[in-house]
Amino acid sequence: MGSQGGFGQSKEFLDLIKSIGECRSKAEEDRIVLREIETLKTRLSSPNTPKFKLKEYLIRLLYVEMLGHDASFGYIHAVKMTHDENLLLKRTGYLAVTLFLNEDHDLIILIVNTIQKDLKSDNYLVVSAALNAVCRLINEETIPAVLPQVVELLGHQKEAVRKKAVMALHRFYQRAPGSVSHLISNFRKRLCDNDPGVMGAALCPLFDLITIDADAYKDLVISFVNILKQVAERRLPKSYDYHQMPAPFIQIKLLKILALLGSGDKKASEQMYTILGDIMRKCDSTSNIGNAILYECICCVSSLHPNPKLLEAAADAISKFLKSDSHNLRYLGIDALSRLIKISPEIAEQHQLAVIDCLEDPDDTLKRKTFELLYKMTKSSNVEVIVDRMIQYMISISDNHYKTEIASRCVELAEQFAPSNQWFIQAMNKVFEHAGDLVNAKVAHNLMRLIAEGFGEDDDAADTQLRSSAVESYLQIMGEPKLPSAFLQVICWVLGEYGTADGKYSASYITGKLCDVAEAHLADDTVKAYAITALMKIYSFEIAAGRAVDVLPECQSLIEEMLASHSTDLQQRAYELQAILNLDSHAVKKIMPMDSTCDDIEIDKSLSFLNGYVQQAVENGAQPYIPESERSGMSNISNFKSQEDHESSTHALRFEAYELPKPVLSQNVPPILASSTELVPVPEPSYVADILQPAISAPSASDAGSSELRLRLDGVQRKWGKPTYSSPTPSTSSNDTVKIQNEATQRDSVGMSNSKTRDVSYDSRKQQVEISPEKQKLAASLFGGVSKSDGRQPSSSQKISKPQNPTSDKSRAAKAAAPDTASVKTSQPPPDLLDLSEPSVSSSAPSVDPFKQFEGLLDLKQDPTPVSAGGVGSTEASDFMSLFTDMSLNVPTDGVLDPMPNVINGNGLGGITAADHSVQQLNKGPNLKQALEKDARVRQMGVTPSGQNPSLFKDLLG
Amino acid sequence: MIRGVIIMNDQGKPRLIRFYEFQPVEKQQELVRSIYKILCSRAENVSNFVKVDSLFGPDVRLVYKTFATLYFVFIFDNSENELAMLDLMQVFVETLDKCFSNVCELDIVFNFNKVHTILDEVILGGQVLETSSSEVVMAVEDISKLEKNSNSIIPSIPGWQGR
Repeated sequence: MGSQGGFGQSKEFLDLIKSIGECRSKAEEDRIVLREIETLKTRLSSPNTPKFKLKEYLIRLLYVEMLGHDASFGYIHAVKMTHDENLLLKRTGYLAVTLFLNEDHDLIILIVNTIQKDLKSDNYLVVSAALNAVCRLINEETIPAVLPQVVELLGHQKEAVRKKAVMALHRFYQRAPGSVSHLISNFRKRLCDNDPGVMGAALCPLFDLITIDADAYKDLVISFVNILKQVAERRLPKSYDYHQMPAPFIQIKLLKILALLGSGDKKASEQMYTILGDIMRKCDSTSNIGNAILYECICCVSSLHPNPKLLEAAADAISKFLKSDSHNLRYLGIDALSRLIKISPEIAEQHQLAVIDCLEDPDDTLKRKTFELLYKMTKSSNVEVIVDRMIQYMISISDNHYKTEIASRCVELAEQFAPSNQWFIQAMNKVFEHAGDLVNAKVAHNLMRLIAEGFGEDDDAADTQLRSSAVESYLQIMGEPKLPSAFLQVICWVLGEYGTADGKYSASYITGKLCDVAEAHLADDTVKAYAITALMKIYSFEIAAGRAVDVLPECQSLIEEMLASHSTDLQQRAYELQAILNLDSHAVKKIMPMDSTCDDIEIDKSLSFLNGYVQQAVENGAQPYIPESERSGMSNISNFKSQEDHESSTHALRFEAYELPKPVLSQNVPPILASSTELVPVPEPSYVADILQPAISAPSASDAGSSELRLRLDGVQRKWGKPTYSSPTPSTSSNDTVKIQNEATQRDSVGMSNSKTRDVSYDSRKQQVEISPEKQKLAASLFGGVSKSDGRQPSSSQKISKPQNPTSDKSRAAKAAAPDTASVKTSQPPPDLLDLSEPSVSSSAPSVDPFKQFEGLLDLKQDPTPVSAGGVGSTEASDFMSLFTDMSLNVPTDGVLDPMPNVINGNGLGGITAADHSVQQLNKGPNLKQALEKDARVRQMGVTPSGQNPSLFKDLLG
Repeated sequence: MIRGVIIMNDQGKPRLIRFYEFQPVEKQQELVRSIYKILCSRAENVSNFVKVDSLFGPDVRLVYKTFATLYFVFIFDNSENELAMLDLMQVFVETLDKCFSNVCELDIVFNFNKVHTILDEVILGGQVLETSSSEVVMAVEDISKLEKNSNSIIPSIPGWQGR
């Protein structure tokens, strides 16, 4: 067969691959591929091409497409080839169509008929090929065409076919659940199939079904438990064993299903306890797959109704994972831990140092997993440390997707558990500074809202202090280059509202700073809009306070620039600012009341304050206003329209002319309001407040005081406390609810301030240089409160500061012991070849010319060394299979044990060590010799590896 | 469910691409490139798992492993177990090794249709179908035998009864 011979492909194909392999640039490769495409185009469409040649061209076409080039011209040939009688060609055709086409491609319809025919074939391999294609190509519309046959195949004699039929049906279910809903019982039936493989296949769709609705399958709990028991007790044929574990993949699937079924169901859980305990006890934790099952058991235990014994076993297993040297196992350990702490939070404490090690590990995957764990175990007692860590990490990474995720998690945690407002603002500043453009715009508004609302109405001093500190911190930060836009908006807003509130900074200082911001961000209209509105506020507060306004020259030039801006929004703001500058203090006080952002503004939608003006106009002979509905002709149009709507819903196509465009006359909304809301880039409540205030009040100034404008905050989420929404009730009652919430937050914050003191001490201690105590402190601040009652309750946080030392000491001792055992382990020879380490040697092998290496090998052949390359069946040469089992747990690398590193590095079969005594002998013949033969053959064919890919001929597993 | 299987060499050149949800060619190339970038940035001796939710959506991870010059990559969601996927990859590579006797990169380049055949016996429609490499080898040998037979007796394959 092809693979044994000269790769079974023609010289042309070899040349193609050779030349692509030797390409020095992408352009060169593209040129070669384009030439190949031209060749294939002519050859494929030529009627004289023999069939077996066609097959090769199709494969070359697949190769071309894999390299990213368009091969659509050949799709039809792939379709044609599926019709062929010859199995080889048919299979190639099926392979090509499954790779080329998506299930909605127009050509699919040409294949359905062939698939139907092939599903009925009495050759099971043809049926299998067709089922493969069915899984990939059949869409919702074509399911009915093949469904009867697929269902029939569920009872096929050959288990391989039954298995594939189950999978195909599962695929149909995924694609269009409705189309096979009447056949779902078949999956249950297949659970009792004689063949364990088919039963295992049936678990996949059942898993999906149970994920959606576990209640409908509670009756199967006993069956699943029984199956699992039989599997675990090795009642399946030996051929299902994998690395001495009985059918591990079936076990894993079953455990996943049991986890779903037992979740929150005490009765079902109780049926599973025994078998879970058995499996966990029996699990072979030296092999990869054994650990996979163990991990799955932990996941299952953590989702079942809690059972102390099992939880204990799970905790033990987790500690084994976490102590392992293998990153994979530590990763699983962290993951398992984050599942288990939901049930028994106290177990995190024993693993604090391991968790911190993982947090500082260079492996990014592990780090991210650990942050997920920390995120899940955050409470008010450790929020500061955790958010601090997360922000540090966020700053260090460049992946925007993950940065966004971490930033929003920081915000979420800070909002939920913040011990103090000061801390919250500082944390938010950091998040904004480094990821401001990535977080949700809502977060910025929440921050502004918090600063505006403060602690509560009773404690004005604290509010003022909060605002002053916010202003202070912003004045410091705003000088820095490249601040995100969202953050600058917050800064401008806060400076505008509170920049001069405490009298510490003069108006000209703040306005100067604001001008700097606007000038530094000329391209960002939103920031400029915020800046100019802030200027307006500062000036009007000055005017209102009766002080003389001194507009700085740079502000003046900024305003003038804005007056001519292309953005109408900026223009309007600039004109408003100009208008305000010319008003007297009384009027300004009315328009821009000090610190009024939290006040509700009532909008008189009927514009009743204009009644007098209208009345006067009508008396002077103006036409009275006719409502839209009463206008002549209008009603017809609207009737027509509704009829139209009705018709268009019944008919797909419309043949009538379109109706006339309907003038949109808004009679209810004051025109100014409408225009200004349209200008609002982000329809966020507090932002609207910002703009609407001047915009609306400007005209009403002439109408002095006839209406009271209020910002509508209906349905806006409240910042602090539980997520409640301020109700659209009259302002008095909503004030009450605010008060209640504020009381709640205050009560919280009392408790939190205690933890604050503890944290100060943590910070001071942090200065020390030594690593291990620092780690311990980190551990203590992360986990210290865990063993106590939930930190969210105010009383608990007081206890946190003291009792952390004994526990961390203990774990230090454990930590000290751990490296010892590890080093003992490394000095031992591996007890079992099954846990050989990673094949690191092969990847680190020097990239010299492989042929030189091979020559060296040939010389060695004559050498009377124990590693004779041709030694048939000699343990040294043939046990490369041990590499398969290399999912390292904790054993040293090959090189350490290797008595002849030169030989190994030289021939590229790095995994072969003389010390290995093969556990799994394979009667596979001398692989070095084979490799040499293969190499010689390749050279004969003229494919020489270029300098660019020297290791082309290296054995994969070596 | 398994979302895809990719084999590429250490220069990022794809050797086998198989997605179980259709991806257009350009998207495939983009994904291969991004995955290659991620894998290159991974240090040695770290875990074999990477979260790729930015490429494939929430909760999607990949398991990768290098064999000589090749990266093997399995992409899957949270209905699969990471370690088990690593072992499944092992099964796949073992099977390749048995079918090609000492598999090397060139085998995969020249016979990627056969590699697809093997993969189809291991994973079908994104679900694990068979996890015993000897079973897979048997199935693949059956297919090869039949293909050979049908080669000699073109045009048809009548009475071959597989049961």
